[in-house]
Amino acid sequence: MNRHLLRKLPIASRMLATSLILVVLVIPVAGLLLSYNLREAVNTAFDERLESLLNVVLAGIEYDQQTDTLALNQRLGDARFDQVFSGWYWQISDNASRVLTSRSLWDQRLPLTAGPQLQYSTISGPNGETLRKLERDVRLPRLPVTLHVAVAADLSEVDAALVRFEQLLWLSLVSLGILLLLGIWCQLHWGLEPLRRIRSNLQAVEKGDCERLDTDLPEELNNLATAINTVLERDRQLMSRARTAAGNLAHAIKTPVSVMMTTTEQLPASQRETMVSELKRLNEAVRHHLARASAAGPVVLRPRVTLSVALEPVLNGISRLAERKNIAFQKPEVPPLQLQIDAQDLQEIVGNLLENALHWAKSTVVMAIFSEADNLLLSIMDDGPGMSSQSRDEALQRGGRLDEQRSGSGLGLAIVSELIQLYDGQLQLKPSPMGGLLVTVCLPCLAA
Amino acid sequence: MKVLLVEDDQPLAEALAEALRNVGVLVEIAPDGKTADFQVSVECYDAIILDLGLPDGNGVQWLSGWRARGIDLPVLILTARERWSDKAAGFSAGADDYVTKPFETAEVLLRLRALIRRSHGHAHPIITVGDLTLDTHTGRFTYLGMPVSLSAQEFRLLSYLIHAAPRIVSRTELSEHVYDQDQEPDSNVIDVQISRLRKKLDSDSIRTVRGQGYCLPDHPTDP
Repeated sequence: MNRHLLRKLPIASRMLATSLILVVLVIPVAGLLLSYNLREAVNTAFDERLESLLNVVLAGIEYDQQTDTLALNQRLGDARFDQVFSGWYWQISDNASRVLTSRSLWDQRLPLTAGPQLQYSTISGPNGETLRKLERDVRLPRLPVTLHVAVAADLSEVDAALVRFEQLLWLSLVSLGILLLLGIWCQLHWGLEPLRRIRSNLQAVEKGDCERLDTDLPEELNNLATAINTVLERDRQLMSRARTAAGNLAHAIKTPVSVMMTTTEQLPASQRETMVSELKRLNEAVRHHLARASAAGPVVLRPRVTLSVALEPVLNGISRLAERKNIAFQKPEVPPLQLQIDAQDLQEIVGNLLENALHWAKSTVVMAIFSEADNLLLSIMDDGPGMSSQSRDEALQRGGRLDEQRSGSGLGLAIVSELIQLYDGQLQLKPSPMGGLLVTVCLPCLAA
Repeated sequence: MKVLLVEDDQPLAEALAEALRNVGVLVEIAPDGKTADFQVSVECYDAIILDLGLPDGNGVQWLSGWRARGIDLPVLILTARERWSDKAAGFSAGADDYVTKPFETAEVLLRLRALIRRSHGHAHPIITVGDLTLDTHTGRFTYLGMPVSLSAQEFRLLSYLIHAAPRIVSRTELSEHVYDQDQEPDSNVIDVQISRLRKKLDSDSIRTVRGQGYCLPDHPTDP
């Protein structure tokens, strides 16, 4: 199910999703790595600086044996060691009470941990500041006791620098992210533009604004569009060739059948009956199969049909027939609808139904056209003799022959029924309130 | 009733013409659109039976040409193509009715009579002028309620007069619509046939209008 959904995910969403994942994952990870490494580097550099300071202090310790005094006679070159509580301190002490400190430490003392090795630690300073402390034990040649030397410096300036740097880092990364998103948008917009073009082109073909797809496209899509065009063209040709062939075949078969029919009428009644019924059978078979061969069925990528344009010629013809037969037929109001149906199929459905109604009507045929949801609804009723429910059922059967006795309209309903089935529509026959037959057609063919 | 049959298939044209002649219709055959076009412009017909599949173009095109030239003869289309797209094209071009092949002659005749009757402005299938009545469905005349038996030419003559009534019909017009182009009669033949008709009906049934022609009076028994 999920797989199925994923397969249907639009291309733009796929590209957006992958790019967003990249941006959302890669940028923070890169930021974290960068900031971690920087912190490491800065801390190492700070520690190294402490170590060199410690070395300077160690080198500057002097012991005067006569007075038994310790002194640091080396200037550390940093004024902050002389400012009180500046955060930069040094301290020399022995195990006894002798302690020598930088002026900055004033009356405070650094906590000490003994050990001959260099030892780094982070402690809290006299001002509550965080100090980085480096210390070691040292022995001077003429001094019997071990000296403990420590240097400490305030970390806050490093921290401040790091914070500043990190702000800058994240600012640049966020800007980078925004730029990347803009890039992705451009990619989606510009990169997928040919796909959108082909889609709107398809819609134009469906609407009937143009007959074929534009081939002014990138190479990959150009081949696709050309292939679709070829298929469309072939589809059109196939249909029109089938119809021409059906028409020619009708002409070729029916003309001789007509000659036979006319000649048969001159025969004595006994021979005439068999001949006429056989000729009619032949004719009905031809009609039936030719009508099926000429049906286009549901159309794909074919221009939409305007209902009034398709129906007008049929309604005009029917009006003329009705006038000839002295039957009242008011042309129905045709709503302005666009249909996805083959115009000739629609003409065939409406024409045959109306012709049937005219054939049976005593005085009136009424037709109404309306639409409901996706459906085109037609209703046609007459005031003729109507049909029994059994013959109504039979009429809807494939190839059912409603009125074999009367030529010209026997197959009408069967042909209409098949056409409507092709379009997944519904054909219903009911008794009409006017006394005759009420035919209703529901065709799901309204164009979106 | 004089009809032009435009049909390229000779056996069919002959068979239909024969069948129509048997019931008293005067039929001339044109095998293609060009011939039909010529005949329509020089001859007088009451109707045209037009096949759509002609060797020199679609019958619908010829028909629209005639309609454009103001020829408003009733046209009955006779075709094997019975798809409504074809029929609709025929009606749009100005056809009046449609019969699909194969057909029964009776059906063609019925529709022809109805077309001709309508073209003369008669909406009802039964035309009555004075005491004379023509049922255009059956093609039978009755006079004072009694059936009248007529020869083919007499039938055509009387039928033309009753369709045209109460208009006066000239001898030329009569000869054009009632007789074949090869056997166009001198006016004497018409006079003879009119007097035969008067014998079968009544001496006042057909009135001669001097210098103009004949007409069927509304009230033949009036002085």
